[in-house]
Amino acid sequence: MAVSQGFKTDLLAAIPSLRAFAMSLAQNSDKADDLVQETLVKAWDKHESFQPGTNLKAWLFTILRNEFYSQMRKRGREVQDSDGAMTGRLAVHPAQQGQLDLEDFRTALEKLPEDQREAIILIGASGFSYEEAAEICQCAVGTIKSRVSRARNRLQEILQISGESEYGPDSIASQVMGSNAA
Amino acid sequence: MKNDGKRPPHVSDGGDPLGTNSQIGLKLKQYYADLVSEEVPDRFADLLRQLEQTPAAAKKG
Repeated sequence: MAVSQGFKTDLLAAIPSLRAFAMSLAQNSDKADDLVQETLVKAWDKHESFQPGTNLKAWLFTILRNEFYSQMRKRGREVQDSDGAMTGRLAVHPAQQGQLDLEDFRTALEKLPEDQREAIILIGASGFSYEEAAEICQCAVGTIKSRVSRARNRLQEILQISGESEYGPDSIASQVMGSNAA
Repeated sequence: MKNDGKRPPHVSDGGDPLGTNSQIGLKLKQYYADLVSEEVPDRFADLLRQLEQTPAAAKKG
């Protein structure tokens, strides 16, 4: 069966979101664009398995995510922050006077484990429901909820913006520095 | 699904802890919106055009 014009149009329309999600996962624009390319090819190949009327974006995100993890496995799962550069950058800018710099936020986001990062992106930024995110990540809704919650706590901790410990830079910074040095 | 209502910034149970009233939620959306609004390289439109022109003969299975 030929791919319909509508499907192609929908794929095109989904590319910005796919790239954003790919960037969130891969943290590298070359890798991200390769992921998107691979996703589009795969989506095209198996367009018949997409059920019209269901969420195309979620379907595409699932493909992209599977591709990301299978590439990671092939590479022997690169360790995040392998050279400690991000950790070093991370410790320098505490959020001041409630002002949170986007660059600091990006750096903090990079520190999260992939499963937490993808969960918080899907829920907090891509606009998916917990149910959709669970489907994309092929896990239970409760798992997504707990990942989102851990991600949020971790981000608050790194960025020092949690309600309770708004001014506790020293302990957190030394924790971060310490884990880097160890 | 969108959280349009006003919520206190530190809702942790049941509410939307990543809503626009939380700093994390706000930054997440900003971070993502930046990525989404990036210009899309031509290679993707080219790729789809290519795929379209490739006859479905090369089917697997």
